[in-house]
Amino acid sequence: MNGRAKPLFDSLQAAWLLLVLVLLYIPMISVALASLSNTRYMLFPHRTWTTDAYADALAGYTTGALHLTSLRIALLVVVISVVLASFGALAFARFDWRGRRAFQRFLVLPLFFPQPVLGLALLVYFTALGITPSWQTAAFAHLVWIVPVVTLVISIRLYNYDVLQEDAAFDLGATRLQVLREVTLPALAPGIVSGALFAFLLSWSNLPLSVFTSGADTTLPEWLYSRTATNYSPMVPAIAVIATAVSAMVVIAAALGLSLARGRDGAGTTS
Amino acid sequence: MRRPNPGILTMLPVLVFLLAGFVIPILVVALYSLMPPRTFDLAGSPTFTNYATAFADGYWRPLMWSALGAAATTLICLVLAWPTARALDRFAGRWATLVTLLIALPIFISESVRLFGLALFMMPGGGILAGSIDALFGVSIGTILYTRLAALLGLVYIHFPFVLFPLLLGVSLVPKDQVAAARDLGASGWQVFREIEAPLAAPGAAVGALLCFVLSLGANAEMNILGGQAVTVITNAIEQRFNYAQDWPLGAALTVLTVLLTAAVVFPVLRRIDVDSLARR
Amino acid sequence: MGTILSTQAVSKRFGDVIALDDVSLEIREGEFFTIVGPSGSGKSTLLRILAGLETPAAGRVHLRNADITDVPANRRPTCMVFQNLALFSHRSVGENIEFSQKMKGVPPHERREHALDMMRIVRLPESYYGRRVTHCSGGEQQRVALARALASDPEILFFDEPLSSIDYRLRKILEVEMKDLHRRTGKTFVYITHSLEEAMVMSDRIAIMKSGRIVQSGTPTDIYYRPTNRFVAEFMGEVNVFELAGGQIAELGIAVPAGAAGCLAVRPEFLRKLGDGERADVRFPATVANDYMLGSRTHYHLDTGKRILVAEVAAGKAAEITVGAKAEWGFDLSDAALLDE
Repeated sequence: MNGRAKPLFDSLQAAWLLLVLVLLYIPMISVALASLSNTRYMLFPHRTWTTDAYADALAGYTTGALHLTSLRIALLVVVISVVLASFGALAFARFDWRGRRAFQRFLVLPLFFPQPVLGLALLVYFTALGITPSWQTAAFAHLVWIVPVVTLVISIRLYNYDVLQEDAAFDLGATRLQVLREVTLPALAPGIVSGALFAFLLSWSNLPLSVFTSGADTTLPEWLYSRTATNYSPMVPAIAVIATAVSAMVVIAAALGLSLARGRDGAGTTS
Repeated sequence: MRRPNPGILTMLPVLVFLLAGFVIPILVVALYSLMPPRTFDLAGSPTFTNYATAFADGYWRPLMWSALGAAATTLICLVLAWPTARALDRFAGRWATLVTLLIALPIFISESVRLFGLALFMMPGGGILAGSIDALFGVSIGTILYTRLAALLGLVYIHFPFVLFPLLLGVSLVPKDQVAAARDLGASGWQVFREIEAPLAAPGAAVGALLCFVLSLGANAEMNILGGQAVTVITNAIEQRFNYAQDWPLGAALTVLTVLLTAAVVFPVLRRIDVDSLARR
Repeated sequence: MGTILSTQAVSKRFGDVIALDDVSLEIREGEFFTIVGPSGSGKSTLLRILAGLETPAAGRVHLRNADITDVPANRRPTCMVFQNLALFSHRSVGENIEFSQKMKGVPPHERREHALDMMRIVRLPESYYGRRVTHCSGGEQQRVALARALASDPEILFFDEPLSSIDYRLRKILEVEMKDLHRRTGKTFVYITHSLEEAMVMSDRIAIMKSGRIVQSGTPTDIYYRPTNRFVAEFMGEVNVFELAGGQIAELGIAVPAGAAGCLAVRPEFLRKLGDGERADVRFPATVANDYMLGSRTHYHLDTGKRILVAEVAAGKAAEITVGAKAEWGFDLSDAALLDE
């Protein structure tokens, strides 16, 4: 390495990235492949390739129930985390106050904490308080680590936000409420939307917290986890694919909605 | 005229929530760990019996396995993530954004799906890998599934992005002209790494390594799905005390030991890192 | 021209730092008033107090005869153009300009008409109306900010160093436009900058600030040629300062009738090379140590043996002077300003 461009080195690096990507996606591809069979035992390559497992999964009662539990938890987590994190982000990135650095460090602590251990600790905590674990307690557990994540996501947006815009609006005759509605919230909206998206996806896919805190209710990742060991059938990978597709659709819908809102915004000003 | 500081007002909801959902639960567990064995309330007189039992009955073993696994995972992830971060940084702007996105995507796919996929891939006989090789070349291969090595593979697979992204942030903060200047002054590739890149990328690497270590320390799904419980990891040990043995105080003591180990790693690193400037990027 | 805006003994401190210390000033109706000072001199704080974005710890602010000290910015007939412009980045050019009218509840078509009028005033093409402000160039954003401020029809416009981050060529163009805009609108402009050049080009009157105090105010000519203290003299460009002691210019030993103490300031353009028999109130021998070509004029460093002085000569006369040549140089006391320190 001596500063000159090296085509060989460049193509080595590109090949390395490709290898990383392939390795990263092997499990997902494996799940998809496994779902296209109709035998109760995994025997690849399948003798018959079929989508029967998907038909069974969609017809079965479990699929809907699992999705509903995961969806309830995720929506509750989104709403609460976005509200808490919006305030938290203001304290994190917008205002200057004594103790801000300490708050910043405290806030990231739950991220630097083993999740299953947190789940077990919360289980003991709920039981000590006499609360029966259910999907609500699972949502609470999710929030403990998702609130810091969403706060960071919104904060990153806030750092790029020019606070003087608020002074300018106020100076141009806006009331405090108008400043909030016309300047602050629209500027923060993208951060809040991506924060909500993070919250949804992280809650939807969470296993280590749900496993210990959801009590009798079962989320999708929990069910898949229990079925990987026992009671295998092609329906298990099929439901895994469906669950992943649902979260992918949420992302796409959010992206579409956002660009649509942006497009309408632009069109409204030119007409 | 004197109003409460808006910073303090806006941090209150999050602070209260994290106290109720993070700090107090840990304190409650700590309190349980001081209760007499096999009790279920907090009325007993405090004792250190459980900690003594934890050491006497060999519970340091699961903690050691977890710590070893976490350390190995962190090391392997760092070694794999460094060239990846360098490559992504080198191609920055072009298709690297897409690759970065593709690497990030699996974080949002459930661990159970991904580990399940790894298991399907590695299964002996009719697994995706063994089955394909058998069908293509007529060769039967063995498997590492249900061994410690498979669990380690799973740990590396799951935690790789957590090391990569902070590291990528760190690498992108290394000014290109400083690297060029060092080369111009006659530094070799290794010297550039040691003298310029490594120190400047260090905060990112530290955050990534820390995340990886702490998350792997508590991980148990990898051992359960891929490792076939070849060894007992600390989370499984705690769960057994809580659920099957019905010995809450001992489970709590093991939890506290894990929390202490985590704190011993997290606090010194976190104290040296400026969260503000890292988030600002 | 009556006084439109004035402050009486305004003070402000942030923690231990005194930002403003007993500042009193009067701004006349319709003038282009510039406050100049180095960074940290308190000029931004003063402007924010005038705009109502900050309240003074002590002292009053009057608009004509009304005390507006406690009137917040959104209820003052004034408007500010910010240093970074503070355009609403998520909105279009039109929406930015219409903002103040939207806040007042003016119907959309009226707002639009008004905004287009404002765009004509600042010479922005009509096609920019729907464009996002983030897609405008630096100069265009400048005009959007001006139009937005003008659209609220303020009596006074404040400018917080709006040109500081713009490159030299564009800045020169915008300076001229700003002065032109002032003349065409007839509004009172209050401008702050750390650039002497900007202040000289545009202003009717200038106030110089240092460490939270106004050290001198007057027309650009007054301030340039008649500085009252050393800080102002040195802040406003190159100057030769001579210490006075016992009624003499100490280093040259030449008696001056003016005052007994303080300093004497002489701008480089007043130092001239003396021909045979040419008179000057103060004269001294010096060697030309170096020359610096500045385009239409040349600066010479003169070595008197004790120190270096700066002389400025118009390009046409420069041929007479050669580096290394020793000659008699001098100036007249009528061209010098007496400084109080």
